[in-house]
Order: sequence, then C-alpha cells, then structure tokens
Amino acid sequence: MLTVADIQKRFGALEALAGCSFTVERGSMLGFLGPNGAGKTTAMRAVFGLVDLDAGELLWDGDPITLTERLRFGYMPEERGLYPRMPVGDQIEYFARLHGLETPMARTAAADWLARLGLGERMGAKVEELSHGNQQRAQLAAALVHGPELLVLDEPFAGLDPVAVHTLARVLRDEAARGAAVVFSSHQLDLVEDICQDVAIIDHGRIVASGDLATLRRSSQSRRVALQLDGAPPEWKPDIAGVQLVDRHNGDLRLLVGRDVDPDMVLAAAQRTARVVEFAYGPPSLDELFLELVGK
Amino acid sequence: MNGRRAVTLVAWREIRERLRSKTFLASTVLILALVGGSAFLGRLLNPQKTYNVAVTAPAPPGIDAALQRAAQPFDNAKVHVRVVSSTAAGRRLLEDRQVDVLLVLSHDHLVFRDTVDPKVAAAADTAVRGLRNELPPSPELTSSTLHPPQETSDEAATTVAYAGSILLFISLAFYGQWVISGIVEEKNNRVVEVILSTVQPRHLLAGKVIGIGSLGFAQLALTVALAAGLLLAGVFDAPAALSGDIALVIPWFVLGYALYAVAYAVAGALASSQQNAETAGQPVTYALIGVYWAGFAALSSNPDGALATLLTIFPLSAPLVLPARSALVGVPLWQHALALVLVLTTIYLLIRFAGRVYAHGLLHGGPRLGLRAAWRLARQH
Repeated sequence: MLTVADIQKRFGALEALAGCSFTVERGSMLGFLGPNGAGKTTAMRAVFGLVDLDAGELLWDGDPITLTERLRFGYMPEERGLYPRMPVGDQIEYFARLHGLETPMARTAAADWLARLGLGERMGAKVEELSHGNQQRAQLAAALVHGPELLVLDEPFAGLDPVAVHTLARVLRDEAARGAAVVFSSHQLDLVEDICQDVAIIDHGRIVASGDLATLRRSSQSRRVALQLDGAPPEWKPDIAGVQLVDRHNGDLRLLVGRDVDPDMVLAAAQRTARVVEFAYGPPSLDELFLELVGK
Repeated sequence: MNGRRAVTLVAWREIRERLRSKTFLASTVLILALVGGSAFLGRLLNPQKTYNVAVTAPAPPGIDAALQRAAQPFDNAKVHVRVVSSTAAGRRLLEDRQVDVLLVLSHDHLVFRDTVDPKVAAAADTAVRGLRNELPPSPELTSSTLHPPQETSDEAATTVAYAGSILLFISLAFYGQWVISGIVEEKNNRVVEVILSTVQPRHLLAGKVIGIGSLGFAQLALTVALAAGLLLAGVFDAPAALSGDIALVIPWFVLGYALYAVAYAVAGALASSQQNAETAGQPVTYALIGVYWAGFAALSSNPDGALATLLTIFPLSAPLVLPARSALVGVPLWQHALALVLVLTTIYLLIRFAGRVYAHGLLHGGPRLGLRAAWRLARQH
C-alpha cells in the first residue's frame, strides 16, 4: 500500500503541496484529480524522489520509500521522454534492466509488453520513427515492463485516440487485477468514473476529498436531477429554494439540488408546467462533484 | 539496485548506442585515415635523406660511389662527399653544420657533431671496408663527437612528455564535447526523469562519463596503435630509445582524461535545458587552455620554479604538467603522491557535485544555476 502522509513542498512563493495525504491499496486503482496547478504532478514526482519534500512522509507497505522500493515501481511522467535514436525494443529492455531484471528476463518482458501494446512489429524501429501514439505506447511499456507493484501515471490518457484510450484502460484494469496499486491523474472525469473505484481530489496542494467514489458521491451535499420535458416554456425552471440550473438543452434540463430538497417537490413543479418524459434523481456525477469541491 | 550495476548499465548503453551511430564510425575512420595519410604524406614530402660527409685528403678513388652504395639501404639516402685538406678544416665544417660527419681515413675514425648517427657510421664502415678489400685488412672505424654527447634518452623522454601533453590537451577538448553533449541531450529529451526514478544522479553521471570516456579512449588508443604500427613498419622515423618516463605519461593521461571528462559532465549538469552543449562547455575548455599555457610557460622558463611546482600539484594542471616536468627535471616522490591524491579526490568530489547539481536543476525546472547557487548546493547535506 502506498501511503502519502502530509507531504509539503514550497517553490518560492508557491505552495505546491500543503499537507497532501492519501493512500492507494494493492489491487486498486486510484484516479488522482485536480485542476491544473493543484499539485498532482509534484505529488507524483515526489514518490520517485524527483522532488525534495519540505515535510511529510511517503511509505510503501509502511516503510519509507527509498531507491530499493522505487525499483519495484513504474512511472510514466507527464513530460514523456525516451531516447529518440535508440531502438524501441532495446530501450524497453534497458528500462527493465535498470529496474533490476536480468538480461534474458528483461528481453522477454520487453518483447511481451511491446507485442501486447501492438508494437511487436516495430521493436527494431527507433523511437523518433514512431508515430505520436506509438511513442505513448512505448512509454507505457517502459513503465510496465518490470511488473511493478506500484504504477504511477501522470496524465496517461492525454492525447490518445478512443481506441488507445480503451486499450490503456484495459491494461490498467489488468494491472490492478494482477495486484498492483495503480494511481493515475486525469482530466477526463467520465473515464475516471468508468474505471476507478477510488479517487483523490487535490486543490491548492491539499486533498479535498478521497476514498470510494460511490461513497463520495453519496456524501455530497447536492443531488443531480435530470428532466426531459415536453411543452415547457423555454425559460422555465422550478422555483424552489436550493435548486440550481446546470444546463438546458431544448427540453432537457440538468439541475443540481440540495440534499435536503425533496425530489417529489421538483417532480410536482415540473408536472404542473409540462408533460414529464423522463425524471432521474441521484448523487452527483464525478464531474459535478469535482466542480462542487474545487469549483470557483 | 547497487551503484556499480547502475553505473555499468548506463555505461554500456552509452557505448552500444554510440557504436551504432554513423557519426562515431565516420569520425573513427576519418581519424585513422588522417593518421595513415599524414604518415604517407610525410614520406612523400621528405622522400630522401642526404648525408653530407667530409673526407680528409687524400681521398681514395671510389670512396664517393662506395659511400653511396653503402647508404642505399638506409632510407634510400644519398651521400654528398666533400674532400677537406685537413682534419682541422673538416672539424670546422662540422662545427658550422655544413657536413654531418667527418671521415678521417688516416686514423680510421669518424667525427660527429654531438651525437653518433648509427646509420651513417654503419654506411661509412661498409664503404671503407669495401674499398679496402683490395688493401690489407684494417680495423673497424672508431667514432667520436666534437661535443660531449647529450643524453639522448632525456631528449626522447621530453619529446614524449610534451607530445603527451599536447595529445592529452587536444583529446580532452575533443572528447569532452562528447560527454557534455550526451548529458545535455538526455536532459533536453526528458528521459532523465524516468531514469532518475531508479538510478541516483551521481551513478547516472558516472556511467555516462565512463561509457563515453572509454569509447573516446578506445578510439584514441586505436589511433595511437595505428601510429605505433606505422612507426614499427618504418613509415615514420623511429625516435631514439625512450626512457621509462613514457610509462608516466600513460597513467597521467588516463587520470587527466577522467578528471576533465567529469569536469565537462559538471558543466553539462549546470547547463540550462535551452543551452547548447558547446557554450555550456566553454568554461571548462577555457580552464583547460589556461592551465595548458600556464604549464607550458612555467616549464619553459623555470621548470624548478614555484609556479611549475604548484602546477605539478594543482589537480587541473597536474595531468598536463607532471609528466613533462618529470622528464625535464624530475619530480620528487612526495609531489607525485600528493598530485595523485588530489586528482583522485577532485574526480570523486566533482562526480558527487555534478550529481547534486544535476538533480537540483531537474527538480527546479532547469534554469541555469548560478555559480553561487551551485556552491551553496555543494555545501549542503
């Protein structure tokens, strides 16, 4: 289990991490969310010793993280980087060996991963000869090749086409199923909602919410209401205290209401105005929860 | 991972990748071609030697042709004979450098200016004996010199030491660029972030320096081997016997090489990500030029002076100055020992310092680190 305990880092006047804490269990996948500049990348780099922390602790299975532990971690940094003129196969094998694998095993693992990620035919190609998408896959292979116990990926889905997103999501799920602790940052909240059970949301260097996503959504102070109305006046919205219009598209309305607002009252108000085609009530989506927590 | 394994892995990658690059292969071929070419060019430009021989009168008929025949096997040399009236006249010509040797036939004696040229002596011997086949047998020619002979081994050692310094100076400036560009490149393409998550910065740097350094060294060794081969094959002129001082040039060459490779690594680590390798390396190159000229000046004016002694011990200049000074005037054992300890310590400290600066630059977004900030960093921890 990865334990991030009250880590702090200041860059001059900027407080990048102001006491950030969260945990990631083995076999689980954590979506690490936050607006730009919230401290996600700094926190992830800190796990790999790439940031000198001012305070706080980073533990793996209860022990402080040192270079020895990091050999069993896999990392995909935000700023991707591979040796441009080195053949892909050699490069992945090199990373495997840096993580402590012996040559024959490293070679097999590199070939396996590249084949699995669809680069089996391109093992001899130089990285600079690969397309952007294939370079991303190679970078992923570099993070995975040694079968890490902890996998940290900074914006792994950024810039991927839908097919690649699907492949990557499956790979990450498989890694968690294998028993790895997986943590990745992303701005694609619907995707995170689809594949993560746990999330941690960071804002201004502090965790504002973390834990099981369903529980977090239920514990929110608001509820979402989706309405589809037939024949309502264009500007209509329910005139009830604590009801907020989020979005209106033709007859489709999305509302955010306080947890204490009775959904029956909203439905009744709608029925008085028009024919209700569809009515849904429930906890907010991750997107809405995120805006609620870090919205300005 | 233990440090040695990490250093080895990094070093091997550098060697493999560079061996694969066409630039490296092309530069190796080019250097070898230059060495080989210059050897043959030298032969082309200076195709024949001429021995100027003074012979005391009366010169037997045929001495000219006999000398010419006898000199033929030696570098295809030609012989120019001048007949002189007396030994004294011959000595004057020898002193004035108008002839290379004086043959006093009446005494079966050869006089050289200050060193006995064995080739000329052998040629004269053969020629005289050839002529005297018709005469009663006579003893071999004896040789002497006008001036007390200089110690030829010293001269050769000095040549080797100076040549060693020049070669070291040139190769440091050349291969130093490899080291620094290797480091700046890696920093720029960000791969370093993944590497540093598993390898300590100082191990990464040590691996790079060792990898690039030993490859440069191998290229250099190949060049020297070719030159030595050509020398043995007689394409170059063989120098006189070399003394044991040549043995001193080699270890100091390696030490100097290691020291400056690391110094270039520090410069690379200090460079901002935008800076190119060439400008980043300038401070080290200037320092190298500075100590080279200081050493040269100190040794030519007073090799026993305080400045020369200081430069023998000072780590940055020791590899260039110590072997040359040792050949010229000798260096006390304690200075050898002190210089060695200081150079090794400097290499170790520079590697650590480079590692720290490297990590720092990376973790702080990579603006160029000022000297003062770097100094503060060096004193931390």
